[in-house]
Amino acid sequence: MYSTTHSHHLSLHKESVLKNIKPELKILSTFLIVISIAFSDVENLFQILSHSLIVFLILYISKIPLKIYLKRLTIDIPFIIFALFLPFLSSENNDIVYTLFGIDIYRTGLEDMFGILFKATLGVTMGIVLTAVTTTIELIYGLQKLKLPQIIIAIMSFAIRYIDVFIDEFKRVRISMRSRGYQEKGIKGLIPIAYASGAMLIRGYERGERVYLSMISRGFNGSIELKKREYDNSVLLIFLTLISIFVLIVDKYL
Amino acid sequence: MSKYLKINNLSYTYPDGHKALKGIDFSINKGESIAILGPNGAGKTTLILHLNGILGELKGEIEVDGLEYSSENIGKIRKTVGVVFQDPDDQLFMPTVIEDVMFGPKNFGYSNEESETNAVEALKMVGMENFQDRAPHHLSFGQKRKVAIATVLASKPKLLVLDEPASNLDPASRRDLIDILIKLDISIILVTHDLPMALEICERSLVLNEGIIKEDSLTKDILQNKQLMKENRLELPYGFALHHLGEE
Repeated sequence: MYSTTHSHHLSLHKESVLKNIKPELKILSTFLIVISIAFSDVENLFQILSHSLIVFLILYISKIPLKIYLKRLTIDIPFIIFALFLPFLSSENNDIVYTLFGIDIYRTGLEDMFGILFKATLGVTMGIVLTAVTTTIELIYGLQKLKLPQIIIAIMSFAIRYIDVFIDEFKRVRISMRSRGYQEKGIKGLIPIAYASGAMLIRGYERGERVYLSMISRGFNGSIELKKREYDNSVLLIFLTLISIFVLIVDKYL
Repeated sequence: MSKYLKINNLSYTYPDGHKALKGIDFSINKGESIAILGPNGAGKTTLILHLNGILGELKGEIEVDGLEYSSENIGKIRKTVGVVFQDPDDQLFMPTVIEDVMFGPKNFGYSNEESETNAVEALKMVGMENFQDRAPHHLSFGQKRKVAIATVLASKPKLLVLDEPASNLDPASRRDLIDILIKLDISIILVTHDLPMALEICERSLVLNEGIIKEDSLTKDILQNKQLMKENRLELPYGFALHHLGEE
């Protein structure tokens, strides 16, 4: 029938050491490592090397196939494009490094470019690893363990549950439009899509009401709790996270 | 005889002025199953929502197991009366099947362990015990329906209310569903257009039309009353024969 594409399911079915680690630990580690990368000093070779080493070690043990990693890294492209413009701008002293076809390239801009390329790439890599070794349910579970407010947990789990229902519904609407001779061409072709979107919005709203009714008829009293799950601890991940923070602090204050 | 569910003169008008129910009166004995038959827009779904105290003010028109419908009793009543809604996608909202089935029992005060035991038991009743960790949106429609029934059974209700449970099911899934419902040892209120299903599960039926109960008698008598059936926009499936009913 109408198949749903599960392209938004990022977790891979490959076996990895990171797969069965407590999701809350994975989320917290990712967050802390990304923060320490963000605050690191790009002119400092020691920091660059040690952060890169940590991130690529984690990438290596996650066993993400290189092809998939590179494909997902394309999310980095907007940052790269932005970064490539920076050498032509200067923030402080107009120290010119090189003149390319009469256009000046400034030192501060060049440093900013390297900074963004380095930080964005490492940060995105951490994100790719986290989503590849953690299912969406585990992410929600981890966030619940990290004491994120109930209401946010509920909204996230509803979003995950109903996105497929919604996509399927919209696909059916489009199929029924096409079967009545509709062609998606030009600006005029967008008008029916706009009407369909409006109808979908109302349907979504009504479904929300029906879901709520079915919830209160099962005694809903304001909290949605996920089932308890068993996961392993990881000394390695804690160790790497601590090193990452340590590298930042050592260089900042010592 | 003690009546298990009593409804006295229940009326309901929607905020837009539409009168959905106009003085409904009926009662059910303990363990009895009834079907509610009627055309689209007859007020069937409105009646179901009332059985769980979801719509409108409760002024004691409904009483279940000696409990009057009031805001203090509503928690107990919702535990006693389990409603399975029309669209299983409305009922299954948790990330995995088992979590969805555990949702009701947890709300009604069962401990985590008890909730899980209840949930597994309920999934076994509908033959879905091997789907615990699956995501509801990956199930087929028939499987979703079975899980939706399990989500309600897990709270151990004494009265199960089903809104069009056979709609959109293939014949084999419909057969599974009927077999599951017949095996259950609780009262059932079955709201349906599927007349043969009503005949198979419920000895007694009510015909609801335009917010009024037009008939309350044996299902086989209702199905044989051509005049009544026609007046209430009901029709047996083409080729369906009733002649064997008289011989019982």
